Amino acid sequence: MTIIKASPTPALPAPLSETSVIGWMQKNLFSSVFNGLLTIAALYIVYMVVKGMWVWGIADAVWVADSRRECFSINPDGACWAGIFAWVDNIFYGRYPREELWRVNLGILSLFIWMIPLWLPRVKAKISIGLTTVFLYPFLAGYLFSGGDKGIFMQIMLTAAIVCLAGNTIHATIGVFTGRSLPEFLSSLFGKKNVHEKTQRNIFLGIIALSFVSIYVWQMSWSLGGVSWTKWGGLFLTFVVSGIGIASALPLGIILALGRRSKLQVARVLCTSFIELFRSVPLITVLFMATTMFPLFMPEGFVLNRLVQVIIAVCLFNACYMAETVRGGLQTIPRGQFEGAHTVGLGYWQTMGLVIMPQALKHMIPNIVGNFISLLKDTTLVSIIGLFDVLNMLRAIGKDRTWLGLHIEPLVFGALLFFLLCFVMSKYSRHLEEKLSTNQNN
Amino acid sequence: MTETKTQETQKINEQLASAASTEVIIEFNKVNKWYADFHVLRDINLIVHKGERIVVCGPSGSGKSTLIRCINHLEEHQEGSIVVDGITLNQNLKNIDHIRTEVGMVFQNFNLFPHLTILENLTLGPIWARKMPKADAQANAMKYLERVKIPEQADKFPGQLSGGQQQRVAIARSLCMNPKIMLFDEPTSALDPEMIKEVLDVMVELADTGMTMIVVTHEMNFAKTIADRVIFMDAGDIVEENAPSEFFDNPEHERTKKFLDQIL
Repeated sequence: MTIIKASPTPALPAPLSETSVIGWMQKNLFSSVFNGLLTIAALYIVYMVVKGMWVWGIADAVWVADSRRECFSINPDGACWAGIFAWVDNIFYGRYPREELWRVNLGILSLFIWMIPLWLPRVKAKISIGLTTVFLYPFLAGYLFSGGDKGIFMQIMLTAAIVCLAGNTIHATIGVFTGRSLPEFLSSLFGKKNVHEKTQRNIFLGIIALSFVSIYVWQMSWSLGGVSWTKWGGLFLTFVVSGIGIASALPLGIILALGRRSKLQVARVLCTSFIELFRSVPLITVLFMATTMFPLFMPEGFVLNRLVQVIIAVCLFNACYMAETVRGGLQTIPRGQFEGAHTVGLGYWQTMGLVIMPQALKHMIPNIVGNFISLLKDTTLVSIIGLFDVLNMLRAIGKDRTWLGLHIEPLVFGALLFFLLCFVMSKYSRHLEEKLSTNQNN
Repeated sequence: MTETKTQETQKINEQLASAASTEVIIEFNKVNKWYADFHVLRDINLIVHKGERIVVCGPSGSGKSTLIRCINHLEEHQEGSIVVDGITLNQNLKNIDHIRTEVGMVFQNFNLFPHLTILENLTLGPIWARKMPKADAQANAMKYLERVKIPEQADKFPGQLSGGQQQRVAIARSLCMNPKIMLFDEPTSALDPEMIKEVLDVMVELADTGMTMIVVTHEMNFAKTIADRVIFMDAGDIVEENAPSEFFDNPEHERTKKFLDQIL
């Protein structure tokens, strides 16, 4: 006999273990006597560690003092954060002249202003904004940071960067409020609505040229005092090295990865050996090679400053790691995607740029950001070859006469600083992944 | 009434096909191909006329997919010559790119671009390879989406569509390039049974427009309705080549008979 139910079985309430806190604890923490004991032991250890850190780092800590001796006299058992506060400018800017710090701040601020439009809704032409960030911002920042006499090339690039920054910002503001682009807005200013694309472009280019000329004339009227790279230091130097590393590692890595997969024998062999060479040595070796060996091979009188050597070394080293990440991402793209692109007539670069890379990069985001995080941490190695990055600055505190022997607190502070930076990056990569995967269900 | 009309159009199409059939559009001349040691195409000779509809069948591994993939140079042949639309296929990349814009191809696994919307999938080739203005490309794409009866899906992503819909999009994507030849590589093999018909219907409609089509398929009823010629391949050889009526009712070769017994 078969039983046929006319209506669906009503849903039963979920068991207690799935819904209440006590049920969850019973199931996950106290499922047996032994597990219960383990839980209690673990809680005790966590309590001891947290309590110790709390007492040392906050409850007993000294926040205001003029020297380490004073810290000791106030409370010898607590941390002496006063030393960190006294050195905070050194930690962030190194020995950069104190009256010129605004230049560093302005440089970093302008990077944010430059990049904010990338995150805003309704702003068009984000790809050009991104590209100008990579290609023009370095000149603006470079001049702000190092100053000195402007060569003709520097004058042109600096002007272009300023025009571009202003243009981007206006474009983004218009975009947020009206959803239009700068060229569209400009031609409507002249009372020409719905004009042909070409006229629109001409008006836009004309205004750009005009502002280029006026800013060029304006920038000739001032210049900034030179600051030698030897005065750069602290977190600022860390950002410079890792920032350039991050910005160049991805494009270089993509080129190397494509070269390694190329059908051209020469390109493949060159890229493969380059990647394998740099990947098989530690970064510190590459850094020593760049700063001590490399000048030996150069003709006499050829002097490159050490910072540039270090930055090139970091870029090449990370490009090789990035190349392998990109290659891994490319291998996740099925062959059918290449064939699909070929059959609609796309050539090699179009196939790569429009079909393969966008998909591969999406798969690679966690690995790419992982590379960026390790790059940021690896830059502390430049302290070994004598650049005063943030780590070296932190260690210098303990050698300062007033703060002699203050070693633990700066390192704890450094750990917190790096944790914060890396954590933000990794959270942002999670956010990117989710954002990119919501608009396509596959 | 409508029946007589379709009969009439069919007649006109047949006349057109026979009138155009003197123009050769694809020519294989003693083509040989190996995958390492494996001899996958053996001395293939084949002439396809403009407007002809050819069905290629055969057991798996017989080289039928390889045969049609040679036409747009997704596979490289080692010996012999292939001439497509008057252009000889060789290492010249410019020729290959040109031929690929003239030859559309539909795959078993659709190979749509999952990161682009349906409309973007359709306009990518026209905009970048044909340098068509964006607005024109989109209007053209909508026209073809209507023809495959899914204009309402234009803004979705491929992953949100059923297999049958995806395959129809893939057909529309190829048609957007306005090709002279359409190749189909087992277009219904990856589909659930209830979706096969919607794809075949689109293909039959396409055949009625006089498009040159080469179809690798196991759908024998489809072959009977639309094919001008059926080609049977086995172990890299073209074993038999015949009109569908002859091919199915009266196969010449032992191997063909055996194959037909197995699948019918």
